[in-house]
Amino acid sequence: MSKKECLAMLLAGGQGSRLKALTSEVAKPAVSFGGKFRIIDFALSNCANSGITTVGVLTQYRPYLLHSYIGSGEAWNLDGRSGGVSILPPFATQSGGAWYEGTADAVTQNLGYIEQNDPDYVLILSGDQLYRMDYNDMLENHKRHNADLTIAVMPVPWEEAPRFGILTTDDDERILKFTEKPAHPDSNLASMGIYIFNADLLVETLKEDAKDPNSEHDFGKNIIPKLLDAGKRLYTYRFEGFWRDVGTIASYHETNMELLGSEPAFDLYDQESPIMSNTVPMPPHYVGPDASIDDCLVDNGCRILGQVRHSVISAGVYVGPHTIVEDSVLLPGARVMEGCRVVNAILGERAVVEKNVDFGSKDADTAVAGNDAVITKGEE
Amino acid sequence: MAKVVGLITTNYSTHHPSQFVEGVRPVAATPVLGRYRMIDFTLSNMVNAGLSTIGLIMPDNYRPVIDHVGAGKDWGLDRKNGGLFPLPGSSFGMSRVGGRFLIRDFEANRDFLRRSKSDYVIVSGCDFLYTTDLKKIVDAHIASGDDITVVTYRANEDSEDVNAVVKDDKGAFAGIKTGSAFGDAAFMDLFVIGTQKLEELLGWYRDVDHLDLFDALKEDLDEVRVGTYDYEGYVAPIFSKEAYFKRSMELLDPALQEQLFTNDLPVMTKAHDTTPAKYEPGAHVANSLVSSGTKIYGTVKNSIIGRACVIEPGATVTNAILVRSVTVKAGAHIENAIIDRNNEIAAGTVLRGTSDAVLVLPKGND
Repeated sequence: MSKKECLAMLLAGGQGSRLKALTSEVAKPAVSFGGKFRIIDFALSNCANSGITTVGVLTQYRPYLLHSYIGSGEAWNLDGRSGGVSILPPFATQSGGAWYEGTADAVTQNLGYIEQNDPDYVLILSGDQLYRMDYNDMLENHKRHNADLTIAVMPVPWEEAPRFGILTTDDDERILKFTEKPAHPDSNLASMGIYIFNADLLVETLKEDAKDPNSEHDFGKNIIPKLLDAGKRLYTYRFEGFWRDVGTIASYHETNMELLGSEPAFDLYDQESPIMSNTVPMPPHYVGPDASIDDCLVDNGCRILGQVRHSVISAGVYVGPHTIVEDSVLLPGARVMEGCRVVNAILGERAVVEKNVDFGSKDADTAVAGNDAVITKGEE
Repeated sequence: MAKVVGLITTNYSTHHPSQFVEGVRPVAATPVLGRYRMIDFTLSNMVNAGLSTIGLIMPDNYRPVIDHVGAGKDWGLDRKNGGLFPLPGSSFGMSRVGGRFLIRDFEANRDFLRRSKSDYVIVSGCDFLYTTDLKKIVDAHIASGDDITVVTYRANEDSEDVNAVVKDDKGAFAGIKTGSAFGDAAFMDLFVIGTQKLEELLGWYRDVDHLDLFDALKEDLDEVRVGTYDYEGYVAPIFSKEAYFKRSMELLDPALQEQLFTNDLPVMTKAHDTTPAKYEPGAHVANSLVSSGTKIYGTVKNSIIGRACVIEPGATVTNAILVRSVTVKAGAHIENAIIDRNNEIAAGTVLRGTSDAVLVLPKGND
């Protein structure tokens, strides 16, 4: 295999347990988002738009949908002659097999893949974050600093800093200190979990870490502090745009809502760096004579006969007559029959709300129906 | 199992070319129903019937066709064995005479037929919108023992551009005539023939290769058994801008949409990475088909909106088709019109046709 300048390792094995019903059957990176996307589209599109054509996707939790969705990587133009997407689930060797225990361990178990591609740099990404970033710019930044490791950071409000891994830097962006969830932060630069390593150093460090019985084999907790202690050149790459890690039902709902309005916080319409996705072909959506749609995203294949306000309506959704849908996220193939009221709710893929049933309320937490759920009278 | 390949002619012209249909692009590449091109329906029908080798007999101005179909990836036709084969076609095909199946075009592509190692060929034009399982038609052809099975449907009132099957006193196939009247057995420009039989006929007709296959066949119906298959589903023939407009508007009926767009037989088309359509606060849309990538601030009624259009605040679009990448600026009004791609309708402008005389705004610059 020919040499690559930069190889991406995309961590996509996370369960996303706080997304509850949405991730009971699928891994978090495969959860539908924004009407036509799945969460992993953002990282894969960023790779493609940054010219990174060799991407290892590390999967573990409930991988079927994720694997079939990624396929050959064709939907993201990642099915080139050399490289492309490789799906990397845990595997067995002569000495046995093991699950991925921690982010660093997942990469350690695939050092063979890195060595096979022989890159100069390795980009470590998380497959469950929503943002647009030019990794090439980050790589240029890494080279300019002659860094060993560059960590993407974004400024967060000071009061929220104690929730993050916080990096303290000097005037030249060199990292002086890394503190996981500091009670009294001296910086508000939060790590985004996006790293560029010099490949040789990564391989060497991971091999060492694997031997350490006290290590949790986690990039944030173990690898970064070790390199910092060893006096390596660690730099930050500052990111200012929209970035979300939709960890909970509330943040998943809110981030979908952030796509709405005349000036959305996250504009999906940027044609310079399109977010690509692997979609099923569907006809344009049909809006009925008595329908009304106000402040919504509506994807192909839908049939809207009722009233929909301030909602994200994914591909192939049906909204029946005399039905109201408001402040909700309807995932692909969801069906709300006649005479329903769905408010402040998330309907999973192919979920059905039966005739004359109300689901969700403005005054309660966001109501969630899992994929394929059927909501009948009495379950409201 | 019999091996079946497809052959689609895209190099013929119709009786009523207009700025929209045929004027700027071959019929095969005419954009239709918001996000499709005419050829998507024929190609998808063939692929959904399990065909994996399909030849496209190309027109002179093939660029829009190739631009759309590429190597056939979106139809699963980018294969090591078989796949999509763009084939040479004679310059103007059958000009204005109604034929779609020039013998010369088959003759020029005998290599395709021979190399396909197929038992049967489904031959089709691409002026009809319909969705069906072509396997059933092939099965019926095989069961009939006929040499050729011509597919027909009952013509509706405005079918003057659709060819019709002529039958003799005994109800046997007697040829194809130009134009159909209400109730005629209209020819869907679709037939099934044994590959060997087709090659044999090409041998017979070498000296009259300027003819349409069915014109040549007229003299030999005592030797070639031609049967018909009556198709009963929804068919939309599109040979003129009038038919284009009328059929498009007719398809705002969900019951007809369901006949074209089914779960089992998806209509495939070139994939685009457009975002879902965005309805801004204050948008008003009724009885319309809206494609992804479009932003609506204004009012849309009884219309078909293609990809990446913008309808600004206070703009109205009524009984109209916006092909794609059309921006209707604030306060502009469009009614009974077809607005081709890449157009910007200036603020406050009124573009109004009538239902009998549809206004066409030709394609703008990219």
